[in-house]
Amino acid sequence: MHENRVDLFGISVSFGNVCALDNVSLGFRDGEIQALVGENGAGKSTIMAVLFGLITDYQGEIVVNGKASAWRSPKDAIKSKIGMVHQHFMLQDSMTVLENIILCNEPLNYFGFVDFKTARHQVRSLLKEYKLSLDLDQLIEDLAVGQLQLVEILNLLYRNSTVLILDEPTAVLTPVERDQLFSALKRFKEDGKTVILITHKIDEVFSIADRVSVMRSGKLISSSTLAETNRDTVRSQIIGKARHKSSKRTKSQPTTPVLLLDEVIVPGLSRDERPLSVNVKKGEIVGIAGVSGNGQAALVEAVVGLRQTTSGAIFIKGKDVTRRSVEERRRIGMSYIPEDRQKTGLAISGDIIENSAISNIQDPYFSSGFFLRRQNMMSHAEKLITSFDIKVASPKHLAKTMSGGNKQKLVVARELSLKTPLIIVENPTWGVDIGASSFIHRQILSMRDAGHAILLVSSELDEILELSDRIFVMFEGQLSKELPISGATRAELGKLMLAKNSTSFGPVGEVL
Amino acid sequence: MIASLFDPSFAESISRMTVPILLAALGGAICQRAGVFNIALEGFIIIGAFMAVLGSYFFGSASVGLFCAMAGGVFMALLFAEFHLRRAGDPIIVSIALNLIGFGLSTYLLRAILGVSGVFQHDGIKKISNIHIPLIESLPYVGKLLSGQSLLFYFSIIAVLFCHAFYAKHRLGLWMRAAGENASGLTSLGVSPKRMQFFALTVCGVLCGLAGAQLSISNVGLFVENMSAGRGWIAVVAVLVSGGRPLPLLGLVFLFGGVDSMSLRVQGFGWPQQFTEILPYLASLLALIIVSYKRLRKDWATKGIKIT
Repeated sequence: MHENRVDLFGISVSFGNVCALDNVSLGFRDGEIQALVGENGAGKSTIMAVLFGLITDYQGEIVVNGKASAWRSPKDAIKSKIGMVHQHFMLQDSMTVLENIILCNEPLNYFGFVDFKTARHQVRSLLKEYKLSLDLDQLIEDLAVGQLQLVEILNLLYRNSTVLILDEPTAVLTPVERDQLFSALKRFKEDGKTVILITHKIDEVFSIADRVSVMRSGKLISSSTLAETNRDTVRSQIIGKARHKSSKRTKSQPTTPVLLLDEVIVPGLSRDERPLSVNVKKGEIVGIAGVSGNGQAALVEAVVGLRQTTSGAIFIKGKDVTRRSVEERRRIGMSYIPEDRQKTGLAISGDIIENSAISNIQDPYFSSGFFLRRQNMMSHAEKLITSFDIKVASPKHLAKTMSGGNKQKLVVARELSLKTPLIIVENPTWGVDIGASSFIHRQILSMRDAGHAILLVSSELDEILELSDRIFVMFEGQLSKELPISGATRAELGKLMLAKNSTSFGPVGEVL
Repeated sequence: MIASLFDPSFAESISRMTVPILLAALGGAICQRAGVFNIALEGFIIIGAFMAVLGSYFFGSASVGLFCAMAGGVFMALLFAEFHLRRAGDPIIVSIALNLIGFGLSTYLLRAILGVSGVFQHDGIKKISNIHIPLIESLPYVGKLLSGQSLLFYFSIIAVLFCHAFYAKHRLGLWMRAAGENASGLTSLGVSPKRMQFFALTVCGVLCGLAGAQLSISNVGLFVENMSAGRGWIAVVAVLVSGGRPLPLLGLVFLFGGVDSMSLRVQGFGWPQQFTEILPYLASLLALIIVSYKRLRKDWATKGIKIT
């Protein structure tokens, strides 16, 4: 009989009154890639935190190699050869790749001095064994995201970890980098290691996993091999009910341009500083696709007013706003849903009431003279919470207590409630679960139908195809020719997104 | 004119100016790299200076004085660790408190134990001996700088160089850097950053204690109220400008100390005192401008190529 490498029996965790995990049992085998899927807040990360020793207050039992184990800290889990690559990298920026890989596991010479020669030799042979390539002397701060992940994984391999937990590893990767990661994971599997992949992308599950476990609201819904299940089953298990098709869209009736970028040059956007021209008309969604990191962020900052342009002009509703501040642009008629809800979208240490009124706090409805009208702010917050079905205990709670998906809903709700003629939307469903993201998509579409002009920047191809009326692809700081939605296919867009050769994705691209 | 600048007393004064600042700054740099924002160096130094005199006076031995100075510095470091690391107090508040305590406690104990106020001077206070290195001593100009200096002069320079190698090559050095840079990363690898920070603070206490000893029992054998006279703050500035890296720190402190002792000298040429007194600060400011300009240029260079 095949023994499991790791077994979790009846794990329950509660935070206060909230039950985060309810009697979850999972088993992980040698030489297996097991995907753990579920919406945000389904408990995937929580159960992994238990397995990795980050949460020690739980009920149930962890059995590793047939031995009941209890962790006091991640240190104990590490000793049992369990390793985790976190969603936010845990690397040391000013140290070299080699130093990061061997950190806390250094081979020593004498008096505690590190034997870098042996270390280099060991890491080299590891790289060779798994057919990976990395420059060991580069500083972490100079690396691309895909390589950072590789460094994290090598750190685990260097420690001889046999159980590798990866928390949404592909969220930050380009398609090329993702393929490289997956082929590396397959080699780990062949080597007899156990790989646990936390994700909410079903395509990934079916392209790489051997077994898939679905979680929903703290419970284990199913755990089965790929042969025993299929995409639709998994998808419906994740959201709990069959996923409804995206709303039938009406044809857009674009008229006058609301946003106009005329030969704008954004410094630092591309090497040869080529000017960009785009317009967004009333009642249409213009989508800008592209692999993230190709200059979309700089373009959005220029449009919103966070970044100076060196030439060209930007018009909102016919007014030249090139030299105007963010505030002035907002007053003229712009709202902005930024990609980073933690840093840009919300003041996370403020409460939800403040956050829901913050983008038009100078409105006499919210403030008079020196004082805020907390009553009105409160009722506005409550309105947003009910209309967008945001799950919070009370609007008086701090924004940082909300889950990621609910934070995003709050930002979207707040910005859309302004009903400005122009709406700038940047990766609106990044890291948001399926249910919430289709809700956000419907809201954006209904704003379009109501006659708002929307600029959508997204690195999710499906999102662009579902929402946009016209599409541009951004690559290395330049925009492709315009593609009408009717003529755009995934294949064509994909080609433009990875245009020319793939050298722009860093040296790992070719070698892996 | 040059010869009159670099006479033997210049060599003596440059070490008098730099050694206390260098030792304290090195301690501060070690804290900084480990992620402890320690601006209580001034308070650490004054306690070190007082304890050095106390030990040297009562036991009639400079070694005991040095030992007491280190113990005094470590005592302050332990207070810092207790309030900042264990009780999660804000490092700036803790630093201000410790600076005030350092000044108040040394003044109070001066009265309580030695029964004097203001200054304590006694022949019973044994001073740290100077070290003469035979061959180097006879070199022109630099001979007087490199030989015949206080024990702590050599110690401080060796300590800086050792610290440089320690960060690059030693396991604890790597861990301490990691504690300051990405503490949660270190935690995820199973090492407690707080432990590294505690270690850094303790070393800082030792070094600041020695800085105090250099002030009180090296060139002179006396303790004066508020003897540290802002050196701890200059050390803090050196730490921040050098980013906690030992070698730039060494250069910076010597630049400041060198210009400081030269400024005394050029007064002899009839330059107005008001002007010569700003020279060390002017030099530091200049160094700061050059450093930040270089950083800015690097920033521009990367921005021009890299797409954000």
